[in-house]
Amino acid sequence: MTTLVVKDQDPYGHGIGGWLSHVGAVIGALPGTYRRELTIHRRRTVLLTVLVILLVTYPILNKLFLAEFSRTTFPLPLPDDTVVTFMMIFGIMAIGLNIVAGFAGLLDLGYVAFYALGAYTAAFLASPHWDSVSIVFLANVAPGFPGIHLPFWIIVPIAILVAGTFGALLGAPTLRLRGDYLAIVTLGFGEIVPVVFRNLADVTFNFSLGPISINAQHLNLTGGSLGINPIDAPYLPFTNLVFNASSGYAPVYLGMFLLVIAILFARNLERSRIGRAWMAIREDELAAEMMGVNTIRTKLLAFALGASFAGVAGSLQASYLGATTSDFFTFSTSILVLIMVILGGIGNIWGVLLGAIALTYVDKTFLPYIGQQVQQIAPSFPNPAQFNFLLFGLILVAMMRFRPEGFLPNRQRAAELAAHTQADVEAKVDEIVAVDAEAEVEASIAEDPGIGLDNLGPPPGQAEASGDARAPETTDEEREL
Amino acid sequence: MSLSESGGQPVANAPLAPSSGDAGVLVRARGVTKRFGGLVAVNSVDFDIPRGSIVSLIGPNGAGKTTFFNMITGFYTPTSGSIEFDGHPIVMKRRNGMKSLRPHEVAALGIGRTFQNIRLFGTMTALDNVRLGANVHLKSHWWDAALRTPGMLREEAENREASMDLLRLVNLEDRAHAWARSLPYGDQRRLEIARALATRPKLLLLDEPTAGMNASETRDMTSFIRKLRAELGLTVLLIEHDMRVVMGISDRVTVLDYGEVIAEGTPVDVRRNPKVIEAYLGRGAADT
Repeated sequence: MTTLVVKDQDPYGHGIGGWLSHVGAVIGALPGTYRRELTIHRRRTVLLTVLVILLVTYPILNKLFLAEFSRTTFPLPLPDDTVVTFMMIFGIMAIGLNIVAGFAGLLDLGYVAFYALGAYTAAFLASPHWDSVSIVFLANVAPGFPGIHLPFWIIVPIAILVAGTFGALLGAPTLRLRGDYLAIVTLGFGEIVPVVFRNLADVTFNFSLGPISINAQHLNLTGGSLGINPIDAPYLPFTNLVFNASSGYAPVYLGMFLLVIAILFARNLERSRIGRAWMAIREDELAAEMMGVNTIRTKLLAFALGASFAGVAGSLQASYLGATTSDFFTFSTSILVLIMVILGGIGNIWGVLLGAIALTYVDKTFLPYIGQQVQQIAPSFPNPAQFNFLLFGLILVAMMRFRPEGFLPNRQRAAELAAHTQADVEAKVDEIVAVDAEAEVEASIAEDPGIGLDNLGPPPGQAEASGDARAPETTDEEREL
Repeated sequence: MSLSESGGQPVANAPLAPSSGDAGVLVRARGVTKRFGGLVAVNSVDFDIPRGSIVSLIGPNGAGKTTFFNMITGFYTPTSGSIEFDGHPIVMKRRNGMKSLRPHEVAALGIGRTFQNIRLFGTMTALDNVRLGANVHLKSHWWDAALRTPGMLREEAENREASMDLLRLVNLEDRAHAWARSLPYGDQRRLEIARALATRPKLLLLDEPTAGMNASETRDMTSFIRKLRAELGLTVLLIEHDMRVVMGISDRVTVLDYGEVIAEGTPVDVRRNPKVIEAYLGRGAADT
């Protein structure tokens, strides 16, 4: 009887059943939620609705008449299936980087390393690369085929694990660093990982320790600069559905599926105690630590979780393209994803998604299209598609000047950005004023020893002592408190 | 680790157990010293905070009050000495020197604090500021958060409820969804206390809680601090410059000067102590 009563009072239930009923309730409440969003954030909701409908129906529209129209009547800069798939891949990456840079406020300039780790995880586990063994499990190849062939659906969790682990490994020693130093270490990591993959193609070593002896002669671990190919395409077991570069728009929907999961995860994390802890660390790391937030662990979590999103994106990219080489993973990719996050609106999931879609479009469809048009009119004119980073740089400068918070800003981040420039100035002024005021108080007390105990100030003797002995020893942290 | 009995202790009769805390004393600091290079900021301070009391730490600017505060909260590691809170050592001696608990570990033990210049999370709502304070008591993991498991949802709802109760306690329930930085100064001070209370502290450290307040706001704050002790059974350690506040609510007052304890006792004793007068007003004033 009592247990029944308790269950009645508890709206959340327990275990899987409780979770499923919660999911059901959320889905059931979607129409209401949408109506509410429409009234509160009208512009944002309408924009997103149009974008989502466009994305979902684009493949069909394209098949029906857009492609035909573009070919026969007027050439339009329409993204093809590869570009739309890459919109999804970069969308997942941008959402992951947004966790690190947007939520927790840690600048990561080597995000591409985790993308590479995801891609090479897929390459190692679903290709004929290890041709001395033959492990085929639920894959789209004949049994006994050389190499390890695991299905995409197993590779994705493994890629998450690998990227997340490396995120934690990189974070553990570096997250005690602040700001610029962290950015430089991550930058280095982003350079090292692709170089390692490029150079581990011919490994020869002898290792012996007592009875253990390992020898390797010309071991090809990573395929070197040629990379690894072919990589098995993702496929739905027990069906003929394959998601590779030659299967049209099917991979778009696979990417969309993973992207939706990524969005849900990121959103849920943001609205939890972990999301609040990230925000607090971003605002005032010291105060957060004093209020009981384990700042190092929480930052490490942001790093590892953000990295795991790139792991998903990487494994999808490699499986989709059917090949991977270290050339895909250059510093410019890290920067491209960072620009997506900043342009879209750092801290806002929908914003960074918009940034990813817009920049992928500009990079892979719009600029080549313009280039083509220019080449037709004036063949000697330099191709604008080769100057994509110049253009991104200009866009970024313009954004920083006119809308530093991005297209769809996060309210908090926008306020912080506005405050920072102003607060820097104010803090300087405050400091100067405070020093002056202190000196004045000290001077007045020194002159007037008749001041009662009721309004105590610093003693006259201490004024000089604090002036010459303390000043040089006072650390920044001490002054902060 | 030998603990020496120092004079003028509030619980002089209680036996001094070497490691576990006795019933009467919440914080026990012995021989605490902090050097910054050549400067001795805090010099061999012995300090006890009796359970359920309001203790004030006063002294001229640069006397080492905030440094001492920061050692209790684990932000600074003392150069030598020992600090125990509720029977748990906050500072430990290691082979390669002293080691302090990290501030979040100290917070988990039950020490909440406010800051001299308010350090709220400005662009988080008042409610979220308080909810963050309870972070240390929340147990859901990131996977619970990502999937929104029933346990996590229940915990969030309970935390939200408890946080609203705390906002009610400081009279801010109607500003729950306003950004912390948009609140007026006095509200921010009280919100900071609510955030500190959300960590469910046994000891509340208040660093100049009435700084910048006018007379009536100061009176409200004073009675609020008394109410906290009466209703929540808290122990309070104050750093305060306003002597009316210090003399009005403290059970005991400790005076620091040049990093050393120069006087310790009831407000009336301290007020009459010639050393205190000298520290504040100079030798000439003490002689006359």
